[in-house]
Amino acid sequence: MAWFFQLQEGPRLSQSNIGGFRIAGVSTCLPPLVVDNLDPALGFAPEDVRKVVAMAGVRERRVVASDVTSADLCHRAAERLMERLGWAPETVSALIFVTQTPDHFLPSTSCLLQQRLGLPDTCAAFDVGLGCSGYPYGLYIAATMLRGGGHRRVLMLHGETPSRFVSPEDQATVLLFSDAGSATALELDDDPASGGHFVLHSDGSGAEGLILRGGAFRDREPANPRHRFLEMDGAAIFNFTIKRVPALIADTLAFAGKAVADVDAFVFHQSNRFIMKHLMKKSGLPEERVPFSIEDSGNCGGPSVAVAMTRRLLTPPPGQRQLWMLLGYGVGLSWGAALVPVDERTVLLHDDGEGL
Amino acid sequence: MDASTRPTITQTEALALLAECFNVPADSLHADVERESIEDWDSMGALMLIAELDERFSLELTAEVSREMTRIGHVLDFLRAHGVLREGD
Repeated sequence: MAWFFQLQEGPRLSQSNIGGFRIAGVSTCLPPLVVDNLDPALGFAPEDVRKVVAMAGVRERRVVASDVTSADLCHRAAERLMERLGWAPETVSALIFVTQTPDHFLPSTSCLLQQRLGLPDTCAAFDVGLGCSGYPYGLYIAATMLRGGGHRRVLMLHGETPSRFVSPEDQATVLLFSDAGSATALELDDDPASGGHFVLHSDGSGAEGLILRGGAFRDREPANPRHRFLEMDGAAIFNFTIKRVPALIADTLAFAGKAVADVDAFVFHQSNRFIMKHLMKKSGLPEERVPFSIEDSGNCGGPSVAVAMTRRLLTPPPGQRQLWMLLGYGVGLSWGAALVPVDERTVLLHDDGEGL
Repeated sequence: MDASTRPTITQTEALALLAECFNVPADSLHADVERESIEDWDSMGALMLIAELDERFSLELTAEVSREMTRIGHVLDFLRAHGVLREGD
């Protein structure tokens, strides 16, 4: 009975060491339209724009056309990845679509993607409604499915189109957010060094800090038109980030028995350059091991972790294994980290969305 | 870093810190200067201040308290209340 009573004690930590899987590849797709934040045609006061750009670090954003969704970007990324990996559709037994910008409230966009990607009807498919923290959470779910048995290959798609829910009059969010889709392929691997360490958290008490109030079922037809768009309390989110993320990094390192020097890349959700630099400094991370893609890819939500990997990192040389910490944090509030090995077999692909 | 190990600064040093955050000359600041008269004490200036207080003193300035600060004296009061402002220098 001792174990039972042990389970009843105090809060448990959501920390998991999951072995026996590897990331076979990461693929990203950005929409082809590039918006220059310094373009006077955007209609914001030039001095305000200059300040926002200097602080947030977003020079260019990638924005979808009005008929393009996260699913379209992820579909392109997944198709290319499966082709490169030589994965036949019938070998994929699960598709996870992490997004807060689905095609519809129902059905789950994952079901539509299962059909579009030609995956068999023996494939499990479901959506996960997370934003900025979605990448490590998505990996965690995929890893647990692989370890749970029955699966050999899982696709984790993560896409967001924040440009579709920011108020055109709110320069703080318009100039920050960008769109992106990603696909990550995970498969079983019997290498003893494979797998990953995961640390996950949430705190709904901070939900008001980043919220799109209207349009869903709490307020289907909002009387206040502003509630149709994203509302961001920048100071509250900044406080959350500087309090939680350095602790997340330290906890993940401690859980895995690693030090900062053991990690080859700390891949942050590309939230805001000022915030990322503050986090980097506070956690004592060397600048050369923190990739920044926000300058020309914007803050594209959780998929920005994948975008930073495909646009700023390289597959390790033959014979070398690297350790990457993937960090997501934001809306929810929700935050998490995945510490995963990558090697020469890990495919990194990027697509600029021509034709989308 | 807790209150007992937190570094302290003089009012002159505090005004220099605020001048850096808000991009104004240090000698233009004193307790009675209103927030609305400082162009760069906007939402981004507020983030700069939050970051500085976190980095230098491990002091959390919440969004709510930050919004309630309407003059330089309120920031000095905040620093004083948290044992950061050294009196008498």
